Amino acid sequence: MGTIAWAGRKIGGALVVLWLVATAIFIAIRLIPGDPAEAIMGGPGSQASAEALAAARAEYALDQPVFTQYLLYLGKLITLDFGSSYSLKQPVTEVMGEVLPNTLWLSLLALAAAWLMALCFAAAASNAGRFGSWLGNLLEIIAAAVPHFWLGAVLIMLFSSALGWFPAVDNGSAQGLVLPVLTLALPLSGFLTQLMRDSLSEAMGSQFALAARARGESRLTLFWRHGLRHAALPALNLTGWAFSSLLSGAVVVEAIFARPGLGRSLLSAVLARDIPMVTGIALFSALVYIVVMALAEGLERIINPAGEQR
Amino acid sequence: MSRSAKIFSTIVILVWLLMALAPSLLAPGDPLAINPTEAFQKPGLAHFFGTDESGRDIYTRVIHGAGDSLAIGLAATALGMGLAIILGTVAALSPRWLDEVILRVLEALYAIPSLLMALLIIAFTGPGVGPAIVAVGLSTAPGYARLVRSQIRNLKNSEMLEAATVLGRSNWLKVRNHLIPNALKPLMALVTLGIGQAVIWAAALSFLGLGTAPPAPEWGAMLSAGRVYLHLAWWMSLFPGLAIVAVAVSATVIGRALGGKVKSL
Amino acid sequence: MSQQTLITLKDLSVSFDGAPAVKNISLTVRAGQVLALVGESGSGKSVTARSLLGLSGGQVSASELTICGRDALNLNDSAWQKIRGNTISMILQDALMALDPLRAVGREIGDGLKEHSSLSRAQRVQRVHEVLASVNMPDPELRAKQRSTELSGGMRQRALIAQALVGNPQVVIADEATTALDSQLTALVLAQLRALKDQGRGVLMISHDLAQVAHLADEIAVMRHGEIVESGPTAQVLNHPQHEYTRQLLQAVPSGVPRFAPLSITGAPRPSVPERQTPAGPLALSATNLSKSFGKHVAVAQVSFELPQGTTLGLVGESGSGKTTTARMVLGLQKPDSGTVDLLGERFAPLHEPQRSQLRERMGAIYQNPLGSFDPRYSVGQLLTDALSGGKSKRDQSYSQQVDQLLEQVQLSSKLRSRSPRELSGGQRQRLAIARALAPKPSVLVLDEPVSALDVSIQATVLDLLDQIQLETGTSYLFISHDLSVIEHMSDYVAVMHQGKIIEQGTTASIFGSPQEDYTRKLLAAMPRLR
Repeated sequence: MGTIAWAGRKIGGALVVLWLVATAIFIAIRLIPGDPAEAIMGGPGSQASAEALAAARAEYALDQPVFTQYLLYLGKLITLDFGSSYSLKQPVTEVMGEVLPNTLWLSLLALAAAWLMALCFAAAASNAGRFGSWLGNLLEIIAAAVPHFWLGAVLIMLFSSALGWFPAVDNGSAQGLVLPVLTLALPLSGFLTQLMRDSLSEAMGSQFALAARARGESRLTLFWRHGLRHAALPALNLTGWAFSSLLSGAVVVEAIFARPGLGRSLLSAVLARDIPMVTGIALFSALVYIVVMALAEGLERIINPAGEQR
Repeated sequence: MSRSAKIFSTIVILVWLLMALAPSLLAPGDPLAINPTEAFQKPGLAHFFGTDESGRDIYTRVIHGAGDSLAIGLAATALGMGLAIILGTVAALSPRWLDEVILRVLEALYAIPSLLMALLIIAFTGPGVGPAIVAVGLSTAPGYARLVRSQIRNLKNSEMLEAATVLGRSNWLKVRNHLIPNALKPLMALVTLGIGQAVIWAAALSFLGLGTAPPAPEWGAMLSAGRVYLHLAWWMSLFPGLAIVAVAVSATVIGRALGGKVKSL
Repeated sequence: MSQQTLITLKDLSVSFDGAPAVKNISLTVRAGQVLALVGESGSGKSVTARSLLGLSGGQVSASELTICGRDALNLNDSAWQKIRGNTISMILQDALMALDPLRAVGREIGDGLKEHSSLSRAQRVQRVHEVLASVNMPDPELRAKQRSTELSGGMRQRALIAQALVGNPQVVIADEATTALDSQLTALVLAQLRALKDQGRGVLMISHDLAQVAHLADEIAVMRHGEIVESGPTAQVLNHPQHEYTRQLLQAVPSGVPRFAPLSITGAPRPSVPERQTPAGPLALSATNLSKSFGKHVAVAQVSFELPQGTTLGLVGESGSGKTTTARMVLGLQKPDSGTVDLLGERFAPLHEPQRSQLRERMGAIYQNPLGSFDPRYSVGQLLTDALSGGKSKRDQSYSQQVDQLLEQVQLSSKLRSRSPRELSGGQRQRLAIARALAPKPSVLVLDEPVSALDVSIQATVLDLLDQIQLETGTSYLFISHDLSVIEHMSDYVAVMHQGKIIEQGTTASIFGSPQEDYTRKLLAAMPRLR
């Protein structure tokens, strides 16, 4: 379908998703037993002061009928007013603005690293025959079963405690990024490798690969001209999901390596039951997922306009 | 999957079940027993896995922790998978419009990564074992529901069912003879994979301080405690983590052997 | 004047991990001549062809391999690369798969030039356009920028041939180049191959279809189980076959074989004009004005036909003509937008399932690939027991004798009862499908491309079996195929479909002997005949 129509569909879909998430949060808040003002400000039995509670009641119009509250709530979200974080005493958007770049940066680096590693592993594995196949299976299983929090600890043990190459805690340097990025990227790369390997070996064994060799192409040229594109396609397809799982992993990784970021802020917000903060982060991550998905899909359309499955 | 991998995995699962149901057989000590004079002992004959900061024997705690992890993992999988199977099957077998609605909802839920959704749920319910179960179950449900839906849909549109129609089979017979039996095996694979993932997620929540409360010997919580002492006492983190990984790997191997495909982090 | 020898191959043997695939193959390809290598699946013909390009993938040994004067034994890969595309090139089977769907066809074609010449980019592009024009591609500049998925079937084939010609090779190998193509495209490719021959190139044609090669090939070599069992000039091999297998193969080709004359040497001999059962009574099947559209696409428009009991109606058409959709409407698997289907005089479609479930047992279906229609958990015996018991049981031993009877009827050994259908060969699976369809003793069978996926000699046995069953039980067949010679051999009545409509229908003799419509005539003209 035409590009404009496609973009329109994407935006429409995004709005629907965001609306659903916002509504779900709204309902969830109302389900917390007790005083909703307290619920927003740290949960039932919160220690919030009387003025804070009164301010919350006013801001969220808690004495109005529920539907009015809902509309007000949606209205504020549309203008990107998430209110103030109860625990940090700052507007939510401000807090997010501070920590967002860190997490985004971390996730993007991890995504790039995972892709690079996956491509290398996939290319190497497809050349190594049966051993490569076995290794690829092993990697994929490890990727699915090794949790970030353990992998981070292991990497710290190895590279920080034992070898002293990289710092275990964020100190603002580029070296401080290496271990966190690796922790995030390794499991994802195991999964991507298997994907790429499957489609790479399918491409290299296909009819057009044979035809290309019959034209005189060498195996290396075959890989560059044909294999690469086909290998990347399914991975591109899953990039949206991959990125969102990276965000998810960032929560754990930021905790392990004591890095400031969206994940850490979310964690503190959850512990403090700081609903405005949580709402902001939830909506934001949904938005990120949608944007990344759309970008990846756009890229896919460029490589493969016919939408073929290969 | 090679035979040796399958055998290894089955052994691990059996050992795990043993640990969960009769831990005293493998580790007669008390997992909560504090012994400050023995703190931070390296792994050795007296303490296979070493001791932690309060002198508790890590080996005993790992063995006894299996029960907690098993309970949470199974409960969360039951909840999540149960929801997923119901939603997925309804979506696959229902008329187009209902299918579309369910699909949109699932996509929306899928937009939030599992851990974040689990955290969101905990934000509303507060931390604890029960909320952890609910959080893990609910957050993994959308992803599995999509898989279940596509599996059942493929079966529904298969030539096998068409042939049954031509032979004059009623809907009931088609479901009983062909649909359900052929759906079971991939579903079993999915459930097995799911248990592996659930154990990891539950441990992650405990690691973040949102699940089981200390001093219970739950693996994730032990990892969290060990993190602070990583440079000093690496064994506090290594062994609980190995236990988690071993269980998850075995579940994944068996799940894949049953025909499932791994797709989760 | 003897033609210049381009390829001499002597005593080629190829094995894969110690298992021999091909033994002692010797052949010669001459300029301006077509050598056809004919055999069924597993005969080793493709392996042989690929060895001529060093692409067999196995362990190769030969006493001589000379390509255009150069010794090609023991070449390493980079030496082979210089020959491939340049001196000798290959046209593969499926244009959709043989061209990378992610790249523009112009690039695919131009790649060959990159390897072998030092032309500049502009010169390469120019040459690509020239070569496309030489294979009659309309609008070459535009097409070169498109991908294979954006081109029509005919254009794709031309692009595929162009990529084999761009290096101006002296020898062209066509590996099953016409398999899976409809008749128009087949004619196109055969015409192109003839042009290559006229240009003085040597052509090696790999095929399983004797009828197709009959008119094009100067020499034929017949392969079986990795060996050449017979070879020689075309006329000699076709008219005076020496080897038993060649004779079997020739007999199995349905082209021009009269109705009920056996194609294979199985079962009891048949009188040349056998007695047929034509039960009196209503029409076995009657379709009236069936129509179906999917969105804007009209799949079937106002299709009507009649199938008298005990006879075969052949529904013939190219892919996309709507024959499968029609079959599905007849079987009640697809609800028609309008029109009706009557089975043995009673309304069958459109109806709700519960209203017609009683009628179901009178009609059965056979598909092209039966494996997908079997529940993978059932063994052969269980499939038949399930069919006999109406789905109530798959293990009930009381049906055991009937199961044996069914197996005998389709000439399957009862030893196969405990096997899974996956372990059976293609021909055996189709027999199993027939047995299952016969279990409820239907009056009508709908067969959708039942033999298209089978080798010629296996196809022959299955077609003979179907004839046998019709003679014994009087079952009526709605036989759907794209293969005209099969339809001609198997049908009493023929309906020709094109773009969702029935263009022409009548008795087999009238359709094949004096076709009225242009499309029918075109179709028949493109049909390769052996006799």
